[in-house]
This record gives sequence, C-alpha cells and structure tokens, in this order.
Amino acid sequence: MLKTIACFKWVIDDADIRIDAGTRKLVLDRAGYKISAYDRNAIEEAVLLQEKHGGTVCAVTVAPSSAKACLKDALSRGPDNACYINDPSFADLAPAQTVSILAAGIKAGIEFDLIICGEGSGDLYTQQVGPALAETLGIPCITYVNKLTYSESDRRITAERKLEDGIEVVSAALPALVTILPDINTPRIPTLKQVLGAAKKPALNVTLDSLGPAGDPCLKTVGIQAAVMDRKKIRFAADAEGIRAAVGALLKEVAIA
Amino acid sequence: MDFNLTEEHKLIRANVREFCEKFVDPIAEQTDAEPKFPMETVKKLAEQDLLGIPYPTEYGGAGSDYLSYIIVIEELSRACATTGFTLEVHSSLASFPLFKFGTEEQKKKYLVPLCKGEMLGAFALTEPGAGTDAGAASTVAVKDGDHYVLNGSKIFISNAPVAGVIIAFALTDKSKGTKGLSAFIVPQGTPGLIIGKHLNKMGIRGSLTSEVLFKDCRVPAENLLGQENQGFKIAMMTLDGGRIGIAAQALGIAQAALDESIHYSKERVQFGKPIAALQAIQWMIANMATEIEASRFLTYKAAWNYDQGLPYSKEAAMAKLFASETAARQTNRAVQVHGGIGFIKGHKVERLYRDAKITEIYEGTSEVMRMVISGSVLR
Amino acid sequence: MAGIWVFAESREHTRELLGAGRELADRMGTTLGVFAQGASASKEYIACGADEVFVLPVLGEDEPLEACVPVLADAVSAGDPDVIFIGATARGKTIAARLASRLKTGLCSCCSGFVYDEGDKLLRMERMVYGGAGIQTVVCETRPQMATIAPRTFAPAPEQEGRSGKVSELPVVPESGVKVLDRLPRQRGAVDVTRAKAIVCVGRGVEKAEDITLARDLADVLGAEVACSRPIAEELQWLPEDVYLGISGKRVKPELYVGVGVSGQIQHVTGIRDSRVIFAINRDENAPIFEAADFGIVGDLYQVVPKLIDEFKAALKA
Repeated sequence: MLKTIACFKWVIDDADIRIDAGTRKLVLDRAGYKISAYDRNAIEEAVLLQEKHGGTVCAVTVAPSSAKACLKDALSRGPDNACYINDPSFADLAPAQTVSILAAGIKAGIEFDLIICGEGSGDLYTQQVGPALAETLGIPCITYVNKLTYSESDRRITAERKLEDGIEVVSAALPALVTILPDINTPRIPTLKQVLGAAKKPALNVTLDSLGPAGDPCLKTVGIQAAVMDRKKIRFAADAEGIRAAVGALLKEVAIA
Repeated sequence: MDFNLTEEHKLIRANVREFCEKFVDPIAEQTDAEPKFPMETVKKLAEQDLLGIPYPTEYGGAGSDYLSYIIVIEELSRACATTGFTLEVHSSLASFPLFKFGTEEQKKKYLVPLCKGEMLGAFALTEPGAGTDAGAASTVAVKDGDHYVLNGSKIFISNAPVAGVIIAFALTDKSKGTKGLSAFIVPQGTPGLIIGKHLNKMGIRGSLTSEVLFKDCRVPAENLLGQENQGFKIAMMTLDGGRIGIAAQALGIAQAALDESIHYSKERVQFGKPIAALQAIQWMIANMATEIEASRFLTYKAAWNYDQGLPYSKEAAMAKLFASETAARQTNRAVQVHGGIGFIKGHKVERLYRDAKITEIYEGTSEVMRMVISGSVLR
Repeated sequence: MAGIWVFAESREHTRELLGAGRELADRMGTTLGVFAQGASASKEYIACGADEVFVLPVLGEDEPLEACVPVLADAVSAGDPDVIFIGATARGKTIAARLASRLKTGLCSCCSGFVYDEGDKLLRMERMVYGGAGIQTVVCETRPQMATIAPRTFAPAPEQEGRSGKVSELPVVPESGVKVLDRLPRQRGAVDVTRAKAIVCVGRGVEKAEDITLARDLADVLGAEVACSRPIAEELQWLPEDVYLGISGKRVKPELYVGVGVSGQIQHVTGIRDSRVIFAINRDENAPIFEAADFGIVGDLYQVVPKLIDEFKAALKA
C-alpha cells in the first residue's frame, strides 16, 4: 500500500494577466484560476504510481476559502480524495506560511508514504515549498526529479534528478518528499465521467481554527509591477525588399563579427 | 436566477479547450483544405466520454446534462466547425431518437455502441424532392413478412459514409403524407443500403455528406423505431433538440470569428496605430461581442429548458435562428476586420466565413425557424 | 557577529556572489564570509573579497551536496550573519529553501537585483513572477535575510593582491537520508549559449529536425550559436537540453537574438528579454514574439531564412 500526497496550488491563469499601461500595475481582476501546471504533473505522477502499485492518492492544497472550485478540478484528475486547507486570509501567503500550514494540516490527519510537489508554482515560482515542507516534516527530500520509481520490496524510491551538471540518480526510504519536473509525464485531460465523478469523492475541509495561527510570513511583498520591455516592434515585409530592409536595420544596430 | 455555470460546466469547458488546443486546432486547417474527415479526433472524443454526453451511463453515455453537451459542441466548433457538427449529428440526430423512442433491445444494440463511440450515427430524412417539406418524401417502406423493404433516395446525409447505423425515414402509408412517415434503424452493411456520391461542400468540408440510396433494402421489422406512422413526430422532436446543437455550433464559429478579430485588430497597424484604436473597428467588435453574448444566452437557455424538462421547441428555434444569423454576420465582419488577408485560403476567418453559412440552412432553415416561432407565439 | 555570507556550487558562481556580497558588505560596514567545498579554493576566495572562508568537509561518494544543510545551519546559527546569498542552481535552491526553513527566516528565490535601504538596513529584493510578466519586490523581515541568485546575475569579483582572511573548517556532516547511486555527467556540446554574442533560436515553427540546418546556416553567417525553445529540446529532443532558452532553461544576454519560428510564450521571452536586439521570423502575425521583438518579419521561415542568409552575405561582403 503506497499512500501518496500530491500537493497542488490554485493559481491565476497567467494568460489572463493584463498590464495597465499607465500605472505598470498587473490587472488581475478578470483573471481565471487553474491548478498550477507543474502541480498537474505532480497529481499525474501520483496517479501513475497508484495505477502501477495500488494504494491511495490524496490531493492537498492550501488556499483561500474562495478557491473551493479547485477541489473538483483536482479530483477529476484521479486522486481518491482531497484535503482543502483553507481560510479567507490564505490569499497571499509567503512560502514559509504555506509550509507551516501544509505541515500542520498533514500532521493533523493525512497518513502518507510519499509527498509529491511540482518544482515550483506557476505564479510566484519560489520553488521553496517542497524542500521546506520536507525539512519541517523531517523527511528525506529529492528535488528536480524527472524519473521516479518505487520498489515495493524494500519500500524505497529511486529518482533521477536533472541538475545543471547532469543526472544524479538517488534513492531514499519512505516516507519521503520529491519535487518533480514537468517532463516527468504528460498529464491526461480528465474525461467527462471523471469530471462528473469528482463531486462524489471525499474532500476533507480543514480550517485555520483547527490548525492554529499561520505563522510568521518572514518575507514581505512590497509590491508587484509589470515587467516592461521597450522594444521597437518594427515589422518588415517577407518579400525581397522587406528582407533587405530588415538586414539593413539589423546591421545598423548590431556589429556582426 | 443564476447565470453562473456550475463548477462542472466550467471544468468541462476548460478540458475541451485543452483538448482542442492539443488535438483539434493543429489539424483544423487540414480538415477543411484536403478535406479530411477527422476520424482520429472522433476516437479521442470517445476516450474523453464525449460521444454520449447527455445519455445515461446504463446506455454507455456519460450521464451528464444537455448544457454540458452544448458547451462541448460550442468549444469544438470554435476550433473546427466540422468536428462540432460531426458530434452534433451523432448525438442529437442519431442517438436521441433511439434514446427517446427505442425499445430496450434497440437501445442495447445501437444506443450503447453509439454512446461509447464504438460507431458513429447518421440521420436520413431529407430527399431531393423533400427538404423542408418532409411529407413530400418519396422513399417508401413496404412490409414483407418480418421485414420492411425500403426503396428511394436521400440527400445531404452527414456522417453517412462513416456511420455504423442510420436512422432513416420512409413512408409506410403514402396516402397520409407526414402522417404516413415511419423511422427505421438501418445498420451499415444492410443489403440494398447504398452510400451514394460524396458531396463537395462550401463549408464544414471535412464532414462527410453524401447521398443514401435504398434499393430493395430489407430491414428487419424489429428495426422499426417507435410506432408505424410515428416518423414525423420522431423527426420533429429530434430536430428540436438538434437545433440547440446547431445553435451551439454557430455560437462557436461566431466566437472564433470574434477571437480572431480582437487579436488581429490589436496587432495590425495602419495610420501609425493598431486598427483596434479606430472607431470603425471598435464598433464592429462591440456589435460582434454583444450579438454573440445574446446568442449564448438564447442557446444556453434552450439547453436549460431541456434539462429542466420544460418545453424547448420555441426556445431551440429562437436560439438556432439568432445564433446562426449571428454567426453569418460575425464571420462576415471578421473578414472585413481582416481586410485582404481574411480573403486568403489558410486564414481561419476565411474558413469560418464559409462554415457559418450552413448553420442558417440545415436542421431547419431560418425560414422554418421563423415558422416555428411565429406558430408558437401567435397561437 | 554579523556579515554577508555566500555559497554556490561552482567557483565561477561563487565569485559572482562574492562580487555582489563585497559591495554590500562595504556599504553595510560588515564582513564577507564564504562557504568553500574543499580548502583549495580558500586563497582564491579571499583574493576575491572574502574575509572569512568556511571549508565544508569532503562528502562521501554517495552523499548529495544537500547533506551539508545541517552543518550550514549550525554555522549560521553560531555566526548570525545579516545576509546569505546562495547560488540558484537546482542544488543551491534546494539547500537554500531547507536552510531558510530550519532558520525560520525568509528567502527571496532567484533574486534578480536588490537595493540596500540605509534606514531599516534591509534589502529590497526583486524577482520575477507570473512566468516573467511581473516583478515582485520583497523584504525579508527575519534574520538572516536570504536570497538565491542565478548564475551570471552579477559580474564575478576580480582577484586582488594582498588580501587576507580567516579560514576555518566546518565539522563532519551527518549521514543523509538520500543516497546517491550514480552520477551521469551531462553530455555537453561544445557550445555555451549563455556566452554567445549572437543566437539563432529555433522554435516549433520548424517542421522537421533536419530543417534546423537552415538555422545553422543563418547562424554561420552571423557568427551565432544555435539555441531553441523548450519543446524543441524536451519534447522533440532535436537539440540538447542545455541550449533551450527560457525561465526554466538558459537565460541569455546576447547582442543579437534571432527567433526562427519561435512563438514567444512568456516563459521563453523571460529567458531572452535581456538580449540587446531581438529579431523574429514567424508565420503567425499574432505570435507574441513580435511584441517582444525590435524587428520582425511575418512570413514562412522556409522562404524568408534562405533570402535572409543571402542578404546578410551580400551586406557583410560589401
């Protein structure tokens, strides 16, 4: 029996982000939300392990109370149940807070052998929650994994980490935590029956009252501004004349060796 | 009153969008240009449980509602009108009459494989001499022992060349006009069932549409759908539901025209600024967006009536009339926004312009829709 | 005690952090410490501005670098530095996150720049969010202030004559729960795109692997290296993974970037935004790359690129 937790975050769909040209502010009020793309890989990997080895998959998130829609989305991707750790104040948590809440929620009542996290979230991409959660729970941590196998006989996982200088093949006894890279799998699109079945799966509602205070943010966000890029945006036609003009313009700007 | 889609509806839309980005968008141009029937896409739709959306799970369906089905057709059509229409013919025109009028035996034998996507369905009502005037049909079915013998020809039958089963209409009593029409389940391969000439269409070119001929085609008597002479009622009820599907197809086409126009008008620079900064373009875009929103509400309302068990014939006709005419107008505007480039083959708005037209014609022309609506409101 | 402490996997990266750290230490009026893997680097690091070198013990063959987290944490607790910079490589980011968690302090991931505030003595640290669409400014209100910093964010510190510093050795690391079974070095091509002056980047608009020769021909004329977008390396594997550009791949700052059939998703643009001149060729006039480009040609790359090669040849000969 392999009991896996797949952590996921409900994030703003970055395709919906608009920039207010005057203030350089990001306009997010009409943006939709989705499961962070990396976390879809995490859920998929947990489900793939379950298909191979049996056991259970629980999808866990820390989210504001307005994010309840994330549960059906997550559950339609295959987990048996979900744990929704939520509070109205959970909208802009610092990584340290997310970790302490997640750790408290897991300790309070989710049995696990393996925790799978995405390499980072699609919005803030701090890449901290996975390793910091392992540290808080006091379990081995393997990051940046693009291949994961589980050995039932000795209850160990073997993982290939993709690092700057090559592949590092490592192994750890369970319980453990891994963070995975998106090329580890291709998440399947949920079928209609999976979508309709999601409502019937159990989702544990955990609130801040039962966990105690969220803890010190440690990191304070002073502001978020749109990244500006001032580019000339000059277009040339694809005919001979246009191409010659483009080459002329380029050579004026850049010294080509 | 609640205008929000449920969480499930939103997820279904998001999933179908992803499906389209992955599997439909990349081949939409080829589907139209070659033209090529999107068989691979149909197989993938079956894997996603999308070939029997509103039918109960015991018949192989997904057990979802009509609004889900409508959203799926809208999104598929936004990427490729052929694909949306293929699903509509299959689910609305072929599966619905089986679900509504079929015996338990017939459902097990035909509805289940249709819903599971093991085969596609088609619907053969229109004849060369009997389009809107279905009672003028000349295809006849004569009882011969435990069989019916069908003779006659049908035209504009979509999915016919790839269908595993065709719901066909023929007169069992020639003297009674529409009251003498009956419906038959005709499996592909039945001796005397001949799939005729493939028709070269202006739009939805990837869809396979052909003549269907019956030459002493012997259909077992057990394949009579509903009662003898009940065919006209079956056809009309089927088309009522189908019209919501065509409204959704038109809606998807119109939405795609708007999407393309917004994108293009922000990028295209004339007189030193994007054309979206010109009021002439802004007004076109505003009209497009507004009419599309109105189409969507009419279409979803008709589907909602269906799901609530309320009458929906008038609502379906209104939705189809408005959405199809909206699609024709918006695709026209979209080509106008694009200018010359929109007139060139391979550009999406050129395809949308051609695809939109048929929605004003099939499953009841705009004129028939007005007859249905006026008949209802003047009653 | 106080100070700025830095740690990175490679010597080059460490020197970059020493450069940033030295400047900050001087402004804050404090010292600069550095963690070194093995004593041999001590002299170099001191010459590059370090006042104190903490030498990590040699790890066992089967121990990952992350095994040193408890020893680092103990050293930090004892030394109480003001600021810690860690190189944002995969291992570095993991070590930093675990260290920050142990120390119960804040960490700015992939800090792209910072400003020191004399008033509250805190760093205003900037980092990219939303796939590169936004810049977040953060302040770490707990001690020590921590940040990870990507390679080539800062210039490496130069070696100076006559500097001196203290060298101390850190205790043996406890055994880690993670064991290394094997290390497979990356098959490195001869090219390092991060150092290229000009880059021709291939995207999904290229239909077949063989067609990359078209980009190579253009690169030859321009004296450029060939790079690619993520799917070309990861999904299609037409080019090695160390030449894909983007937020999760290599970030480059060439004089000239030429995108051939690159659509320009924000994640890719983030990796090329520091290029001095961006030139894009794409069939889709709506491709976002044109928003990020100085010059663009909307057209079929199979027609445009050969003509472009001829034009460049002609212009460069003249």
